[in-house]
Amino acid sequence: MLELNGATYRYAGYARPVLHEVSLRVGDGEIVGLVGPNDSGKSTLCLVASGLAPASIGGELKGTLTLDGTTAAGLRTFELAERVVIGFQNPNTQRSGIAATVFEEIALGPMNLGLPVVETVARTRDAISRLRLEAIVERDPQRLSGGQAQLVGIASLLAMRPRHVILDEPTAQLDPEGTRLVGEALEALAARGTSLLVAEHKTDLLDRLCSRIVVLDAGRVVRDGSAGGVLDDPELRELGVEPPARVRLTRAVAHAGGDPRALEAVLR
Amino acid sequence: MESVGAFVIGGYIGPLAIIVLAVLPAAVVAGVARRLLRVSLLLTLPIAISVVLVSVFTRAGSTVLFQIGPFDATLEGVDFAGQTLVRLLAISTSIGLFGLTTEPRSFVLDLERRGLSPRFAFVAAATLEAVPAMVERAGVIASAQRARGLDTEGSLRARLRGVLPLAGPVVVSSLTEVEERSLALEVRAFGRPGRRHLLWRIADTRAQVAVRILMLTLLGAAIVMRLTGTFPALP
Amino acid sequence: MSQTWVRAIVGLVAFFVVLVAGINVTGTLDVTADPNTGLIAAQNTIIAILFVALLAGLIAYAATEYAQTRRLDSITRQFDTRTIVLIPIAIAINIVLGQTVAAALKVPIYLDSIGTILVGVLAGPIAGAVTGGLANLIWTYVLPAPFHSDYAAPFFIVAVEIGLLAGIFGRLGFFRSRPNTPPARLAIGAIVVVAIVAIIGFYGFVPFYSSGQISFFAPPAEGAAAPDPVFVILGWLVALLVIGAVVGLLALLFIKRDLGAAYVFVAGLVVGIVSAIISAPISSIVFGGVTGSGTDILVAAFQQAGSSLREAVLKQGLLSDPIDKTLTFFLVFAILGALSRRFVARFPQGEAAVGLSEG
Ligand SMILES: Nc1ncnc2c1ncn2[C@@H]1O[C@H](COP(=O)(O)OP(=O)(O)O)[C@@H](O)[C@H]1O
Ligand SMILES: [Mg+2]
Repeated sequence: MLELNGATYRYAGYARPVLHEVSLRVGDGEIVGLVGPNDSGKSTLCLVASGLAPASIGGELKGTLTLDGTTAAGLRTFELAERVVIGFQNPNTQRSGIAATVFEEIALGPMNLGLPVVETVARTRDAISRLRLEAIVERDPQRLSGGQAQLVGIASLLAMRPRHVILDEPTAQLDPEGTRLVGEALEALAARGTSLLVAEHKTDLLDRLCSRIVVLDAGRVVRDGSAGGVLDDPELRELGVEPPARVRLTRAVAHAGGDPRALEAVLR
Repeated sequence: MESVGAFVIGGYIGPLAIIVLAVLPAAVVAGVARRLLRVSLLLTLPIAISVVLVSVFTRAGSTVLFQIGPFDATLEGVDFAGQTLVRLLAISTSIGLFGLTTEPRSFVLDLERRGLSPRFAFVAAATLEAVPAMVERAGVIASAQRARGLDTEGSLRARLRGVLPLAGPVVVSSLTEVEERSLALEVRAFGRPGRRHLLWRIADTRAQVAVRILMLTLLGAAIVMRLTGTFPALP
Repeated sequence: MSQTWVRAIVGLVAFFVVLVAGINVTGTLDVTADPNTGLIAAQNTIIAILFVALLAGLIAYAATEYAQTRRLDSITRQFDTRTIVLIPIAIAINIVLGQTVAAALKVPIYLDSIGTILVGVLAGPIAGAVTGGLANLIWTYVLPAPFHSDYAAPFFIVAVEIGLLAGIFGRLGFFRSRPNTPPARLAIGAIVVVAIVAIIGFYGFVPFYSSGQISFFAPPAEGAAAPDPVFVILGWLVALLVIGAVVGLLALLFIKRDLGAAYVFVAGLVVGIVSAIISAPISSIVFGGVTGSGTDILVAAFQQAGSSLREAVLKQGLLSDPIDKTLTFFLVFAILGALSRRFVARFPQGEAAVGLSEG
């Protein structure tokens, strides 16, 4: 379980905070979606929830981050890495830049943890099979398609065996097929009890994956509720978030005088 | 190692002996002798031309062979150029042999196994990838610039104007990736103190160890003799 | 008195103790200049002593810090993950620009230390020194063709020096942008720079290159005729280049109205001169003064004009290096300006280097 309490965060060198009094809870096995317009603070919130802000990038955090009941304050980055990991949007910057094969790339994290070779290999194989990357283990990680590269990035995170995973727009650069693969991987992770926080523009994906959705606007939480409830919210568009196709379709049907419930039945 | 030996010994015989007695046999054993010679000669050629021109014509000396313009060619210059050339060739072939027989990535891993800090191993390994990647990026940006009508061939001024707008974006765009990449590495426990268990181990036979010790001893002896002035004068 | 001051004083004391001891041990140093070459007889000994003293100072500083805190934060802090990720890219910048740009332009400059200087400025002197040293070693021993070069490794000590000095200049704020400087202060800055160039020029360069007269290429020592016209032309070209550089700086100062340019110029000049002095012996001993680049013609010219190999290489270096390094320093200054402040600020020495003061 990952819990933020009254988090107010200010970047180093800036006077005004970017996040204000954000409280958030991601239970075990839960996938929480994070949406909001550009510059609303989603990426910042991801960094704060991962502990890297302030552990790596400095700045000032008021409020607390707790991981499975213990506070994350004061942990060094490599200590955080065993508890919570974060993935970013650009698969290119997530490559280590030193691995000759996908296998080595994924093995880097466990190796850095100082694990014995057998354990490193076991974790790497496990991460590979969970994202079904067997076909590309021998490939050069520099020469992958965007979708493959992002999956390798996520596999590299999974090999750390984290209890909490945070992803900042993981599918932004992916085609529909890549998006589907990532979605399935996240579901499988949650099924094993991992807590997931996913910032994402693709509300269709969140609609399918998430149990809860948090809407952020100008650094404040403006909605926090069940996925269905938040995504059906008639004000969602005014908050700068595009509702998923299901909701738009239902509304269009209702608007045209049809029966939305019949449509929902068909969609389900 | 041999390359250091080349200057310690000096003269003609030393560097030649290194090429013939140490580098070439090793290259033959490794089956790269032909490629080694080709690569080394190619790499040394441009500098060799300079050496010849510069030292043959400009070395002050008493025996003037012939003159071209203000430049005199002297016997001393020819001698000096010859010495420099064999020395350069010894350096080039020994480093070239190393390059042809050693896969750089395994070399770095082996260094880490022998105690190099993982951070420095990272720097070396990442450089291997960063250099060609930057060339590729420069290529992409160059073609974009050319599409916008910038010149990368032609006169010096034209080239200057073509290269500078190119260098800027290449440098700045690769620098901006540093931030996210360092976060992504920290997430994977980079920078954790203590050693790592590497996945591979490079074979190191008894014979290899023996040859290495022998060469180090010879090199050490040569340096000591040179410093103490007891090294026999070779032609 | 804070702990940092204690360390600094211990370091300085060690530096001077070793300096004085070194001078005494080596006996009286012959500092009379050779009338023909302007070279000081004991030049190499002095450089060696300075180097050892500098090393002693650094070690004393580090030892004191370790005794005080049981850690070496001032050094390890310069190698955070960000810097470690930056170093390979910096090395790639060195190599790619050094090999392609300089080769493509075919001009007698190197442009192969932009990355080193960048790391020195952003992360600190030790990080800069390590980057420079690693860059040259990797260039020769790790990189495969076509990026490989046989000639980088012997010069690695020069690269170390460049990174170290760039880091110190960065810490001292020489790379800070000083926009909207009032004209009066710009004028003072310009006068100071011109004065520095003039003093170095007249008391250092002119006697060194011309045994007193401004002819730049002295005739051979013994009873030779007037210098060959080729050298006179070359000499004037060089002089024009120097004047051009100064005029360019003045234009930059007054058009951009940024006094930072003057600081960068001086820093580049100093690093260039030091680099030339250190690299000359390496270049002449290892490579016979030839590196296969555009600088070779200068070496040849000086030798033909009667200089020994060592002198000719030094003379060439003292012309090429200051130009190369000031140019490089300006490029780094421009790059720092193009990077976002928040990016720069996260490096260990970033705030000190560019002077962040945002509300
Ligand atoms: N590294 C940083 N330093 C300072 N301010 C930042 C930094 N990153 C983002 N910001 C600011 O924080 C605010 C929120 O940005 P961000 O978290 O990236 O939003 P989102 O991901 O929702 O687009 C923006 O106003 C942005 O300018
Ligand atoms: Mg974002």
